[in-house]
Amino acid sequence: MSGEDDSNGWQLTESDPGVFSELLKTLGVPLIVDDLYSLDSESLASLQPLHALIFLFKWVSTSSDSMSGNYDPEFPGFFAHQVVNNACATIAVINALGNIPALESGPQLAQLMEFTNNMDPQTRGLVITSSDWLREAHNSLSPPSAISLDGLELPRQTEDAYHFVVYLPSMEFVYELDGLKPHAVRHGSYNESGEGWLSRAREVIENRIATYPPGALDFSLLALRGDPLLLLQAELAKLQTAGKQAEAAELVVKLESETSKRNRWNFENSIRRHNHVGLVHSLLVALAKAGRLEPAKENAKSVMKERIARAKMKGGVMDES
Amino acid sequence: MADSGTLLAFKAGRAFRREGTNFVDPSPTKGAILLRKEDDLLHLIWKNRATDEVEEDLILFPSDATFSKVSQASGRVYVLKFSSSDQRHFFWMQDASSARDEEFVNNVNGFLMDPDHEVSWGPSSQPEASTSTAGASSSSAPSGFQASPEQMAQLQQLLSSAVGGGASAPSEMSLNDILTPANMMPLFTSHPDLIPTLFPHLPPDLPMHPSSEVLQRIISSPQFRSAVSNFDQALRTGLLGGLVRQLGLPEEAGTGIEPFLRAVQRQADQETGEDGMDTD
Repeated sequence: MSGEDDSNGWQLTESDPGVFSELLKTLGVPLIVDDLYSLDSESLASLQPLHALIFLFKWVSTSSDSMSGNYDPEFPGFFAHQVVNNACATIAVINALGNIPALESGPQLAQLMEFTNNMDPQTRGLVITSSDWLREAHNSLSPPSAISLDGLELPRQTEDAYHFVVYLPSMEFVYELDGLKPHAVRHGSYNESGEGWLSRAREVIENRIATYPPGALDFSLLALRGDPLLLLQAELAKLQTAGKQAEAAELVVKLESETSKRNRWNFENSIRRHNHVGLVHSLLVALAKAGRLEPAKENAKSVMKERIARAKMKGGVMDES
Repeated sequence: MADSGTLLAFKAGRAFRREGTNFVDPSPTKGAILLRKEDDLLHLIWKNRATDEVEEDLILFPSDATFSKVSQASGRVYVLKFSSSDQRHFFWMQDASSARDEEFVNNVNGFLMDPDHEVSWGPSSQPEASTSTAGASSSSAPSGFQASPEQMAQLQQLLSSAVGGGASAPSEMSLNDILTPANMMPLFTSHPDLIPTLFPHLPPDLPMHPSSEVLQRIISSPQFRSAVSNFDQALRTGLLGGLVRQLGLPEEAGTGIEPFLRAVQRQADQETGEDGMDTD
C-alpha cells in the first residue's frame, strides 16, 4: 500500500561524539558521548560516571559470527529492535538510555519510554522509529536533503555497513543490546567492587575483537557518560569555597578543555546541518571575480587526468596479479 | 481483498486509555482501519490483521465524529471522538512510514463529514507550504537556497531513474579539486573585499561571528568537503536545472560541471560590470 523503503525517512548521520551529544541534549538527558581510545583502567576511570559502552563496527561479513553470551528472552530492561536502516545509532542510544536507572530526561523521551513500556522489542522498535520528533532530532544532524543523495544508490559510503552494539550493566549482569538480534544477550555477572561492570565489559569486548582476524574489523568505541561539565563546575565551586587553590587551578584547566571541546562540537554540528550550496556557489563566483576560476579549472582537470591514469595503472597491476 | 464497499483502508492498531489516567497504551496487535459504506451508512471498522477478524464496527453519522492526532502522546496516536457522546476510540498508525498519515487522516475526516467524500491523495486540502514557498524561493533568488518539497521529489525521481544509466559517469573535473583550501586561501589576501559577500551563506547558528578565519575553517572541514562532493555528484547527473535557477543561473547550468562553471563565470563578469568594478 505504501512504497516502504527501508530507511523510512531516517537519514544517515555521522557516528561522531558531537552528533551523539547533540542528540542527547535534544533528548534532555544530562549525558554526553566521548570517544574511547582504549579500554585500560585509566581511560575508563577518567570517563566516570560511565553508563554504557557503544561498540561500533564495520561489518566484515565473515559470517558464522560465533556468539558469546546467552540470549535472555526474559530481559526485564529496555530493548528495542532496529527496524529501519540509518536509525541504528539512535536506537543504540535509546536502548542504552532505557536502562539507566533514575535518568533525568526531557518530556518527549519520558513519554516515549512510558508509551513503549510493555511492548515487545519489535513493536517497540517500530514505535520508536515512527516517532516524528525523534526522527527529526536524528535527521537534524545530517546534511540537508536538498543536496543529500542518500537512497539514490549512487556510489557513496553508507552507514549501513556500520553496526552499533551497546554494552551496559543491568540487574547485576553485563548485557549486550544489539537491535538486530532477537533478544538481549546476557554476559555474566559482575562485582560492584573495583571497576565494577567495566571489567566484565572489557573482557567481553576484547574477546569479541579477538574473534576477528587482525585488520578485518574496523571498529570504534564510544562512552556514554555523565556530563562532565556539570560535574566539574560543581566540584570547582566546592574547591574554591574550601580555599584549595592548587587543586582548583587543575580543575580550571580540565574545564577549559571540556568547554573548548563543546565549542568545537557546536561549530561542527552547525556546519553539518547547513546547506552549503549557496556558499559553494558564492565561493565560485568570488573565485571567478578574482580571475582565479579558469586557472583552478585547468588545474582540476589535470588532477582528474592524473587520478584516472593512476586508477588505470592500479587496475592494470591488479589484472596481472 | 477489499470489497466494493470499502472506501479507505490503512494499517493501524488500537490503543487503550489506562483506567483512571491519561495514559494511552498502544496494543501491539497488527490491524487495519477500514471505512466502508453499507446500506448507505458509513462504518469505521477495525480489523485484526493477524486473524482477519473484525473486532470493532462503528456506525458513523455525518459530522458526528472527528479523527484527530493526540498531540500529548508521542508516537502516532489518533483518537476518534464523537460530538454526540463522550465515547473515545484510540488508534495508532502502523504503516512503517509516517509519510502518508496525514493523507489518511484527511480522507477519514472527509468521509466523517460527508459520506460522499471523494478520496484525495497528496498534500492536505489546505493549500499550505507548497505554493507559498515556491513563490518565495523564485523571488529571492541568490541569497538563500531552499528547494521546495516538490522540486526535491522531482529531483529524487529524476535521479533515481537516471541511476544505472551512467549517471555517475566520470567527469572532466571535480568541484572538490576547485574548491580546495589551496585555491581559496590566496583569495583571502588578494581580494579581502570579496570575503564579506560570503558571510550571508555561512550557517546562521555558528557559535562565533563570521570572519575570514571561520570561513577558512569551514572550507577545510570534512563536512564542507562532503557537501561539495554531494553537490558535485548531483551536478554530474545533469539534472539540476530547476535548482540552479535559484542561484540566479540559467537552467543549462544544471546540466553538468563545465556548463555550471561557465555560467558562474558569466554571472561573475556581469556582476562585476554592474558594480563598475571592471578593472582588468
